[in-house]
Amino acid sequence: MARKAHLAAGFRRVLLAELRQIGARPGLMFMLAPFPLLLFVLLAAVFQLGLPRDLPITVVDQDRSTLSRQMVRIVDATPEVAVTHEEGTLSEGRQRLLTGQAYGVVLIPPRTERDVLAGRRPEVVLFYNNQYMTPGSLVARSVGGALGTVAAGISVEARIARGSDVESATQAVLPVPIRQSALFNPSLEYVQFLLAAVMPTVLQIFIGASAALSFSRDRQGVAGLGKSLRLGGTLTRTAAGKLAPYTLAYLLVLWGADALLFGPMGARFGGSLTFHVAYGVVFVLASQMLGAAAALVARDTVSALAAVGVITGPAFGFTGITFPRLSMNGFSDVWANLLPVTHYLELRTDNILRGAPLDISMPAFAWLCSLALIYGGVTLLLLWRHGRPRLAATRGATT
Amino acid sequence: MIAAFIREIAAAIQAIWNDKGARSTMLGATLFFSVFFPQPYLSEVVRDMPVAVIDQDGSTLSRELIRRIDAADAVAVARYAADMPSARALFLRRQVHGIVVVPPQFERDLLAGRAAPIAIFSDGGYFLLNSVMSSALSNAARSLGAEVQVGRLTASGVDAAQAMAIVEPLRVTTVPLFNPTGGYASFVLPAVFVLILQQTLLMGIGNLKAGRRSAGGLSTFADAIVYVALYSLWAGVVLVLLPWVYRLPRIGDVAVMYAVAVPFLAAVTAMGLAVARLIPSKEGVIFFLVVLGMPLFFLSGVSWPAEAMPELLRTVAFAIPSTTAVPALVRVNQMGADLRSVETTIFVQLALCLAYSTLAMAIERWKKGPSA
Repeated sequence: MARKAHLAAGFRRVLLAELRQIGARPGLMFMLAPFPLLLFVLLAAVFQLGLPRDLPITVVDQDRSTLSRQMVRIVDATPEVAVTHEEGTLSEGRQRLLTGQAYGVVLIPPRTERDVLAGRRPEVVLFYNNQYMTPGSLVARSVGGALGTVAAGISVEARIARGSDVESATQAVLPVPIRQSALFNPSLEYVQFLLAAVMPTVLQIFIGASAALSFSRDRQGVAGLGKSLRLGGTLTRTAAGKLAPYTLAYLLVLWGADALLFGPMGARFGGSLTFHVAYGVVFVLASQMLGAAAALVARDTVSALAAVGVITGPAFGFTGITFPRLSMNGFSDVWANLLPVTHYLELRTDNILRGAPLDISMPAFAWLCSLALIYGGVTLLLLWRHGRPRLAATRGATT
Repeated sequence: MIAAFIREIAAAIQAIWNDKGARSTMLGATLFFSVFFPQPYLSEVVRDMPVAVIDQDGSTLSRELIRRIDAADAVAVARYAADMPSARALFLRRQVHGIVVVPPQFERDLLAGRAAPIAIFSDGGYFLLNSVMSSALSNAARSLGAEVQVGRLTASGVDAAQAMAIVEPLRVTTVPLFNPTGGYASFVLPAVFVLILQQTLLMGIGNLKAGRRSAGGLSTFADAIVYVALYSLWAGVVLVLLPWVYRLPRIGDVAVMYAVAVPFLAAVTAMGLAVARLIPSKEGVIFFLVVLGMPLFFLSGVSWPAEAMPELLRTVAFAIPSTTAVPALVRVNQMGADLRSVETTIFVQLALCLAYSTLAMAIERWKKGPSA
């Protein structure tokens, strides 16, 4: 019992020492909660619309007929795009793409209406900027859909003119209609898709970096790690005491961002709250251990931060949220598995978006726990190695 | 004067080489990130995404539809499921990323000229997989439907050309420009490379200058010249050589690229000097820059359209060189834009360079003020 109280006291002493360190550094305090929340607000503002609307496109109407004007009107009426310019020639339309003033050009060639009536099947072309893939493909889908509606209308009329009734003419236009529904996130909201994934990825940088700073500061300090180890008594108590303030701060940030996401921003939460809390805690711990291990491997604070930056900075591409993991090369797949955020985001998707039963999420949860244990083990091992000689030296000096 | 300036230039080069942090960010990190960052995207497009099929019809035409779905490059029919619950279970386990349901009497309805709908379930949690699913399926359904329709019309005595004119009176063609294959690496990397230039240059300057006193105007000017020159070389590597190595489309004029890149690098350098004087600690500068990488990428409007962002945010973001330089360099390199199309950006970069230089000098004067 007395032993246990002693250990707990060690934890408390390290914790208080760490809190004093944080208190003495306003920069560090800023980075604990205000800065990540500020970034969340910034990112939320970027994606505030959820779905882009009124993307500018330009029209080159060389036909100037009733039909061509109808096409322009229908295209303009789709919520995703807005016809903001009209050009006389295709090269003028192209110039709009090059200056970034439009994402697409609709070309309606001369005699389109006449050719439709004569059954010559004229061609209407949409050129869209696929270098800007998100707006480009949105423009392609909505303008292509709108022009398809116009073409379908003509087709229905042609069939009715040939004596078929309205109903069968309408059915014949689209013989194999597709009823597409997105399982999970059916409204295809970018807030749910990107913002919910970007925030934990950014937080992983913060969490790793703060742990790295905490440990490498001790290593650089005059007293060194030995002092913290003496305060803590044991390796685990020392590590726990040092990291606890950050664990708490970043859990609050993580959940605070979630509270904003699922509260005022109206994202749907479809899973188990208990499980969400559980993998959130393991995620923060694993990211901390990653940062701490990096700090103990690196020689100085700047290289420790650089190491954390190299590991966590480009992490988003590896998580498979934008470009799927199933199409990645072997290296990327292995690397992705070593990043806590990959598994955290998978668990989030499973739980919040899909409402999947717990057994489905077990492999990812096991990965996340193993990462926490492995990086934690490395941290303790290095702490023991770095702390030991100095501990021995100070003991030698005092006796 | 000229000799002194040359000495300062040499000193600036030496300083980069002698400072470990600067050497590893300005020389090492730039190259490292440009090799490391592209890794996840190198296969460019999704191929053979596994989908599950529930064929409740089991007819010749339903099998033909499934064959056409499987024939698409992007998807592959991986599993046949008996019912929705078992298909859903495969989906939750991520063994398939889409489900196709062909209802009973699909063939009968289709041949009788009635609409024969199919149902598809895609993954709204992963946007790329979702759009892969819809484009592969709509192509298969459209081609099969049109074929059956034309067949029905010609069977009723209409000649082939006229049948086509009824089925498709107006051809709608969509032509993707600049990134014709819709490759993900081709889309993301040209923008990311520009951002890597900005961030590593800022980190390098932070390493060299944060918390140190300025060694005078001439020395700072020589430093700036060296940074811009070094990064102009990097711009050639990262924006011309690497796209060639990774086979990304690049059609731009290198001279136009430099007309944007040099003012951009000058603006970044001026910003770096100002930031290094504002944030006194090296660690602070580096951390700040690592964290800002991703938000800055989204602010550039390459992945998320700038039109969809709040006006205020767009205005504030103008203060960061990458916001306008990333899209401008992408337009030059990947879309072949000429000088006229990017002149606004060049002026913005020059204005930023002037503004940040003024700011850096003002901070310096203000810092000296109390002590003098």
